[in-house]
Amino acid sequence: MTMSDFHPHVKQLLDGELTLADLPPELRAEGEEALHLLAAVDREPVTFPGLDARVLARLRARRDPRGFWRRLRLRPWTLLPAFAAGAALVLLLSRPMASPPATTVTVRFVLFAPDAQQVALAGTFNQWDTAATPLLRTGTPGVWAATLTLPAGQHQYAFVVDGARWIADPAAPAVDDGFGRRNSVLSL
Amino acid sequence: MKTLCVSLLLAICSTGASAQDVTARLAGRVSPDVAALVHQLAASAAARGLPIDPLIQKAIEGSAKGVPADRVTAALRVLVGQLDVAAAALRDAAPAQPDTDAIAAGAFALNAGLSGRNVTDLAAASRPSNSMAATLRVASTLAAMGVPPAQTVELVTQVIEAGGSTTDVLALPTQVMAGVSEGRGRGVTPAQAAAGLARAAAARANAPGQQRPKHPHP
Repeated sequence: MTMSDFHPHVKQLLDGELTLADLPPELRAEGEEALHLLAAVDREPVTFPGLDARVLARLRARRDPRGFWRRLRLRPWTLLPAFAAGAALVLLLSRPMASPPATTVTVRFVLFAPDAQQVALAGTFNQWDTAATPLLRTGTPGVWAATLTLPAGQHQYAFVVDGARWIADPAAPAVDDGFGRRNSVLSL
Repeated sequence: MKTLCVSLLLAICSTGASAQDVTARLAGRVSPDVAALVHQLAASAAARGLPIDPLIQKAIEGSAKGVPADRVTAALRVLVGQLDVAAAALRDAAPAQPDTDAIAAGAFALNAGLSGRNVTDLAAASRPSNSMAATLRVASTLAAMGVPPAQTVELVTQVIEAGGSTTDVLALPTQVMAGVSEGRGRGVTPAQAAAGLARAAAARANAPGQQRPKHPHP
């Protein structure tokens, strides 16, 4: 007999809605049997053969650090140099370092050319393009100027007056350009 | 064998890439004859570990200035010679292959009037904390300002020996110029201003434990 085969009153007994005494006399035997079955189910321990052993074996494997290293095929001390290198890197990066020179510098180029109609700047920083960097007239008559932000390093340049006349910057040192003229030099 | 093949492939790819770069930079800027010569010189220079950017720049500069092709060609050949001399001078200072930045700076120093021996001395004076290329650039700027080569080498070397950083070395042309401006009434020359700075640097180098000012004045 299963639980679903019981009389509805017996089910009420099992649900605690009725007592054994509340049942009609012809159902009391069935009621007693149902209570007996229920008690048997409640008290019998649930066992799975071999489960305990498998769970304990897993727990032991997790707790065993040698198993971890074995799976990695490493010995713990083989990682010491890596840890040391990591620590050294952290120390190196955390050390205060000397500030490096600026990577870009803003420079103002000025030329006094009272008769010029246009003035430009050409040099290594703009691939000697005579149209790339025009100078503008300033408030002072005859004075042309341009302000550029240039990468740190060495630059050679010249002013180009009216698109044809190449003039070295009178305010900067100059070197031979290899073509019989002079290039101005700027070290940033 | 596998590594060799990969290395060869990478070398071929990088050569192809740099050739494309040269072509792109010269396109529309120089005559075909000059472009062909630059390609030839650049390939040969790159094979010797020399920088090719100065060659490209010089070719473009010559064309921009309207210089005849034969003069541009001559200037390019002179420049290749300077790059070779600079590389050799740097190798005399340190056996390792010098970097292309330092070689370019060395060639420019030669163009500014320094000798191969000066370049070697400056490179030898550079320390790991100092940029060799920056040291050479500063020296060439000083030479271009009119400071004699021997004095240029002495000044830069003294500043480095006194513990000067790259920033301190980079400040030298401005300091020499300031010395000339301050002494204009007395007719102070760039050489005299540089000598004053060198003496100050030597004094700092010989005074252990003394606080070194960041930017000394003559």
